[in-house]
Amino acid sequence: VVFPSYEFAFFFPVVLALSWALMPRPRVWKPFILASSYVFYAAASPRYALLLGGVTLANQVGAVLVDRTDDEFRRRLIMAATVAIDLGVLGLFKYYGFFAGEIGSFLDSLGLGMPVPLLTLALPIGLSFITFQAISYVVDVKRGLLRPASTLDFALYLSFFPHVVAGPIVRAREFIPQLATPRNPRDVAVGAGVVLIAIGLVKKVALADYLAREVVDPVFGVPEAYAAPDVALAAWAYAAQIYCDFSGYTDIAIGVALLLGFVFPQNFNCPYRATTFRDFWRRWHMTLSRFLRDFLYIPLGGNRHGKLNTYRNLMITMVLGGLWHGAAWGFVLWGTLHGVALVIEHALRDRGVRRPPAWLAWLIVINVVVVGWILFRAESLELAATFIGQLFDPGPATLWTPVTVGAVLVVIGFQLLPPDPLERLRVRAAALPAPALGLCLAIVVALVGATVPSQGVPPFIYFQF
Amino acid sequence: VTEPYYPTSSEPPVPPAPEGRRLTARHAIIAVLLAAVLLVLFEGSSIRTAGEDMDPGLERELVLAIGKPAGWVSDRIPFDDWTDDALAFLEDEEAGTQGGFDSAGPAAAGGRAVPPVPPSSFDPTELGEDARRPGALGTLLVTGDSLAMPLDVEIARRLADDAPDVEVERDPHVGTGISKTGLLDWGRLSTEQVAEREPDAVVVFIGANEGFDMPGPRGGDVKCCGAEWAAEYAYRARRMMNTYRRGGDARVYWLTLPAPREGDRQEIARAVNAAIEVAAQPYRAQVRVLDMEKIFTPGGRYRDAMEVDGRRQIVREADGIHLNARGAGIAADAVLEEVRKDFGG
Repeated sequence: VVFPSYEFAFFFPVVLALSWALMPRPRVWKPFILASSYVFYAAASPRYALLLGGVTLANQVGAVLVDRTDDEFRRRLIMAATVAIDLGVLGLFKYYGFFAGEIGSFLDSLGLGMPVPLLTLALPIGLSFITFQAISYVVDVKRGLLRPASTLDFALYLSFFPHVVAGPIVRAREFIPQLATPRNPRDVAVGAGVVLIAIGLVKKVALADYLAREVVDPVFGVPEAYAAPDVALAAWAYAAQIYCDFSGYTDIAIGVALLLGFVFPQNFNCPYRATTFRDFWRRWHMTLSRFLRDFLYIPLGGNRHGKLNTYRNLMITMVLGGLWHGAAWGFVLWGTLHGVALVIEHALRDRGVRRPPAWLAWLIVINVVVVGWILFRAESLELAATFIGQLFDPGPATLWTPVTVGAVLVVIGFQLLPPDPLERLRVRAAALPAPALGLCLAIVVALVGATVPSQGVPPFIYFQF
Repeated sequence: VTEPYYPTSSEPPVPPAPEGRRLTARHAIIAVLLAAVLLVLFEGSSIRTAGEDMDPGLERELVLAIGKPAGWVSDRIPFDDWTDDALAFLEDEEAGTQGGFDSAGPAAAGGRAVPPVPPSSFDPTELGEDARRPGALGTLLVTGDSLAMPLDVEIARRLADDAPDVEVERDPHVGTGISKTGLLDWGRLSTEQVAEREPDAVVVFIGANEGFDMPGPRGGDVKCCGAEWAAEYAYRARRMMNTYRRGGDARVYWLTLPAPREGDRQEIARAVNAAIEVAAQPYRAQVRVLDMEKIFTPGGRYRDAMEVDGRRQIVREADGIHLNARGAGIAADAVLEEVRKDFGG
C-alpha cells in the first residue's frame, strides 16, 4: 500500500474512524492500530511482516535485558549485540549482493574464482528506517533516556503505518510517550494534517513524477543522447524531484499521523535555501541528520578531540550516511562529496576565513548539492561520468519547455521565499471548517489524479532505501 | 562549542504539533470521509478500472468491493464525466480510440474460421531466398511493460555510441499487460504508437503483469493459463505484431519471458511464451521472436546469476521477475544482433 493509491484511500478513513472510536480504551486500541499497521506493511509481502516481528522481538529482548542489568560492561555488551543483530539483518538484505559482487570481482582479478554464492535478496521495504528506529530505542534505554516500553507499545512504535515505510525517523523517546495516554480527541490538528496531505500529494504526483517522466528518467537513462542544456536541466530537475518526492512522502506521513492524534518531527525545512553545508544538513532529511549526529558522529567523538578528529568524524559520518542509502559506489561518493564539503567548510571557519556574501554562498552550496545528486541518481559511476561529461557538450535544448523549466523554478524558488507568509497561508488554510477541508482534499486528489499516466503512480524514491 | 555526548533527558521528547486551529477527532473523520465519498462519486469508474487491473489478491478484492458499486453509481450519474471533462487538460496522455482489443480485429472480418496463409508467414532465409531488407533504420521504438526497463536504456545507450543517427523512442508502460485493458489497452496503444512515431523497428518486451481473465471468442471470460487463454493472448499479440510491422515496412523484435522465480508466475510465463510463438507465425518475414528463456533460464529453470564475460554475475532483479541492468544489457545485445541482421550496419 502506498499513500497515493485507492487502497490507502479506503484503508485510511476506516482506520481513522475506528482508531478514534477505540482510543479511549487503550487495551483495544493498541492491538487494533498494531494490526492495522501490520496489514499496511504486509500488503507489500507477508514475509516482510514476519521479519518486522522478528526485529521487534529481538530489540525488545535486548532493551529489557539492558534495563535489568546493573553491570555497565554487560549493559554495553547486550546493547552492542542487539545493534549488531539489527545491522546484520540490514547488511544481509541491503548489502549482501553488493559486497558479494565486489569481493567476487576482486578475487576473480587475483585468479581465485568466486567464493561466495551470488544471490538477489529482495530488500524489505522500510528496513533501513525500521533498523534505525530500533537502534534508537535500545541505545536510548542503555543511555537511561528511556525506560523499556511494553512489547505492545514498542511493536506499535516500530510498525506504526504512517512512518513504517520511509520515515521520518521518529525516535523512540519522541513516540512512545505519546502512547502513554490516549490522544485528546478535542485537540486534533485536523487542518494542518489535511493541508500537509494535500501539499504532499501535489509535490509527489504533480511535480516529482512529472519531472521524472519528462526530464530526469530519459536523460539519466541515456545521457549520451542529450546535450549540455538538457543534461543541466535534468540535474536540476532531479534536485527538484527528489525533494518533492521525499518531502511529499514525509508531508503525507506527518499529516496522516496528525489526524490520528500523533506528532512526528519535521523532516525538511526548505533545504535549497541553505547557504552552508551544515545548514543544508539541518534542513534536509533532518531526522536522518539527527540520528547520524546522535548515534554515530557524537559517539565517534564529535568535535571533542581536536580539529583533525572532528574532520575524520565528519567524513566517517557522511560516508556511512551515503552508504545507508544503498549498496552502490554512487551513494558512497555522494556521501564523500558532502563530507569533503563539510570538512572544507569547518576548516575555513576554524581558520577564520571570512564567509562569502550570502548569494555566492548559496550558489556554491546549491551547485555542489546538485552535482551530488548526479552521483546519487546515476545507475553507475560510468553513467555519472558520462552525464557530467555531457554537461560540456554543446547542443540543442530539446526538453526545455515552459512547464518543465517552470516546475523546477517553482520547486527551488518556493524555498527561497520568506517562510513567514507561506506559514501564515498554511495556518489560514488549516483554519477552514472540516467540510471545506474535506472538499479541498477531494479537489486536490482529483486534480493530481488527472495528471497520473496510465502506468499509475511510481513508488516513492526513498522506498528503495 | 563542545557537543554533549548524547542528548540529555531534559530535552523535550515529544515534538510540538504544527501551529494552527485545533478541531476535534470527529472533524478529522468528517474531513477524510467527505473526501473519500466525493472521490467515490466523482471517480467511481476509475476506481473500478483500477481494481480490475490489479493483481489478484486481497487488495484487488477490496478495491473492487468499493469500485464496482461506485462504478455502477457513476455510470448512472454524470459526475464522473464532469470530472473527466474538467480535468482533461491535465491528462498526460491522449487515449487513442482505434484498434483496441474491445473492438473487432482484422481477423474478425471473416470470423475466426481458417484464415489463409500469407507469404509473410515465411522467413525468406528459411526458404533459401535472400531476406528482403527494409529501408534504413531511422526510428527504433522500445516498448512494453516494466520488463522493457532498463532494456530501453541499454539499447539506447548502445545505439547512441554505435549508430547516433538512429532515434530511439523509449515508451515503457509500467504495470500494464496485454491480458488487462482497464488502464491501458495495448491494442489501442500500439495503433497510436505506430501512427505517431512510424517506427522502422519495434522492440517489445512485455509479460510481467499477465494472467488476467480475458473475454473469449464465445463470450464469457477465459481464465489463465490453458490453451483457450493462450489462444486469446496470441490473438491479441498477433494484432499488435501486425500493427507494429506496418504492412511489412517495419521489423518487430518480440522478446519472450525468461522464467520467473515463483511457480505461479512460471505458469503464466509458459503460456505467454507459447502464445508469442504462435502469434508470430503469420509474420515470420518481419517478426523475430527472441528467446530469452534460452539465454537466462535454460530449461525453464530460474537462476539469479549466470556466466557473463567469463565470470558469474547477477542478471536478475531481487523480485525474481525483471532483468537487472547487466541482464538487460545481454538482452539488448541479442536484440541489436538481430536488428543488424535486418538493417545491416
